[in-house]
Amino acid sequence: MMAKVFTLLRKELVDASRDKRSVLAGLYYAIGTPLLMCGLFIVLINQLSSPEDLPVKMINADKAPDLVRYLGQQGINSGSGEKADKLVLQISSDYPQKMARGESAEVTVIADNSDEKMQDSIRRLQKALQAYSAEMGSLRLIARGIDPRVLQPLKVEMHDQATPDSKGGMILGIALFTMLYSVFISGMNLAIDTSAGERERNSLGLLLSHPVTTGQLVISKLLAVTAFAMLGLILILLISHFAYPLVPWAELGFSISISPQFMLLMLVVGLPVAMLAASLQLFVSFMAKTFKEAQSYLTMVMFIPLALAMSASYNIAPEVLKWLPVSGQQQALMEVIKGKTLPWMELAIASGLTLLIAAILATALARMLRSEKVVFGL
Amino acid sequence: MIKVSNISKRIGKVQALNQLSFSADDGMITGLLGPNGAGKTTCLRTIFGLLKPDEGYAEIDGIDVAKHPVAAKQQLGLFPDPFGLYERLTPREYIRYFAALNGMSKQAASTATAEVLSKLRMEDIADRRCKGFSQGQRMKTALAQAIVHQPTNIILDEPTRGLDVMSTRVLRDLLLQLKQQGHCVLFSSHVMQEVAALCDRVIVMANGKVAAIGSPQQLCEQTGQTSLEEAFIQLIGTDEGIAA
Repeated sequence: MMAKVFTLLRKELVDASRDKRSVLAGLYYAIGTPLLMCGLFIVLINQLSSPEDLPVKMINADKAPDLVRYLGQQGINSGSGEKADKLVLQISSDYPQKMARGESAEVTVIADNSDEKMQDSIRRLQKALQAYSAEMGSLRLIARGIDPRVLQPLKVEMHDQATPDSKGGMILGIALFTMLYSVFISGMNLAIDTSAGERERNSLGLLLSHPVTTGQLVISKLLAVTAFAMLGLILILLISHFAYPLVPWAELGFSISISPQFMLLMLVVGLPVAMLAASLQLFVSFMAKTFKEAQSYLTMVMFIPLALAMSASYNIAPEVLKWLPVSGQQQALMEVIKGKTLPWMELAIASGLTLLIAAILATALARMLRSEKVVFGL
Repeated sequence: MIKVSNISKRIGKVQALNQLSFSADDGMITGLLGPNGAGKTTCLRTIFGLLKPDEGYAEIDGIDVAKHPVAAKQQLGLFPDPFGLYERLTPREYIRYFAALNGMSKQAASTATAEVLSKLRMEDIADRRCKGFSQGQRMKTALAQAIVHQPTNIILDEPTRGLDVMSTRVLRDLLLQLKQQGHCVLFSSHVMQEVAALCDRVIVMANGKVAAIGSPQQLCEQTGQTSLEEAFIQLIGTDEGIAA
């Protein structure tokens, strides 16, 4: 019984390893994605973070020399040119008079708030202006013999519990997702080749006319596809391990490091997902009559894990996603990489469900292959 | 020994097999002769348990295929139409794979593979991948796969299609050799010549039914014709779908 499964599996692996298309499909994804992600993050970080010296176009700067000096200490300088034009600080012409009289002097910040790249800079300028305003206010109160603390009935202190790693939730989510998704991509071509491809080449009928059960056949194909999926995951983890440190995470105040411990955890957590991916892909491809047909079905089906994992990482998802296949694993891994403890309970249930669905699909497939309609595509 | 009893099978709207009964004995070459669409391939697939009959049953060495498929298939070798080669494997790997699937140990499978490769004079192509093989080379590979595990029963579906003279001779010699060794050989064909030359017994099929059974000699006598071809046409009542 096991000897036949082993014989079948060995043939599947030899056959697959000689299939350029199957091998390259996994390879391209595993090597390309981490590099692409790193490049993307580097560009993103450069755009999102405010530069050290922020040039701002200041109108009527000469009316408020003290404010300008204060801003200058914060690295916000009066500048000109295209970059400075995007953020304009307009100081009203009656600024010195109003200041002298102890009234509110008007300053206007002109910028495009919908420009994602400018968000950080706008906030920085606003914060600096508010700080200056508070300082001036305190000075005015002191000049009138009043303790400035009367204006602060509440003293709010913020204890930020976020570890540096927990801040980049979304970016982490995307990075983790691309790794977990590799188990879906790496084995896909093999899954099609060994099912729809086998039927297309007329070898399925021959294989079934030999003394093997459809159960043995399904198990061996499942193991072969899972092996390819896991190889893809190992590869993408290795590449990520070396590629992610190249991104200047420090500018965002957190870092993603793919440590050997995390890689190990990911492999353990990824195994049930790989088995689910394999059984799902085999099940769908065996229903298709040709390679091409299977490909178009799978493209649609593969959208489900994509949607599950993505919604889990964007925090827009209902709680229930914590317990479901793919999204459960994704969330558990995110917790870990954020430096929190592994949610054992959720992960165990999500993994159990994952394996259960894989087993149901495999059983259904073994039963399906006993039907002449499926084997001959009648 | 292959025995088919009262098998009926409907595929879609077509009654492919209709109360078909016959047997093929050990040490004999039995030909399943019929025009295109007579139900030959359907019949062979039913014997292999790939199709389930609506009625009746098929037995291999006394084992019901539908009830004990794995045990029954253990005693069968199939030369299918189309061949179903794995193009990325070499003939040696391909043949050894099927030998192992039939329960042979690694060592025994390798030895049996080497033997059958030399028997079919395939040593020159044994370690080349099947991709790009000629029709004759493909035929030999498929044939080796069918006999490597020495099954008592060998079934061939249209074995001579697309073969040149040399390949046909290799095939014919092998079938005669198998018969002498006491195997039961059953093959389907619509080619008169090879049936007349090889078969001890001919089962003439038309419209999913047995039209006549007997040696080529008997069929001629039964119909009062001098050639098998004439006898055949008279038996099935038409000359449609026959190759001389």
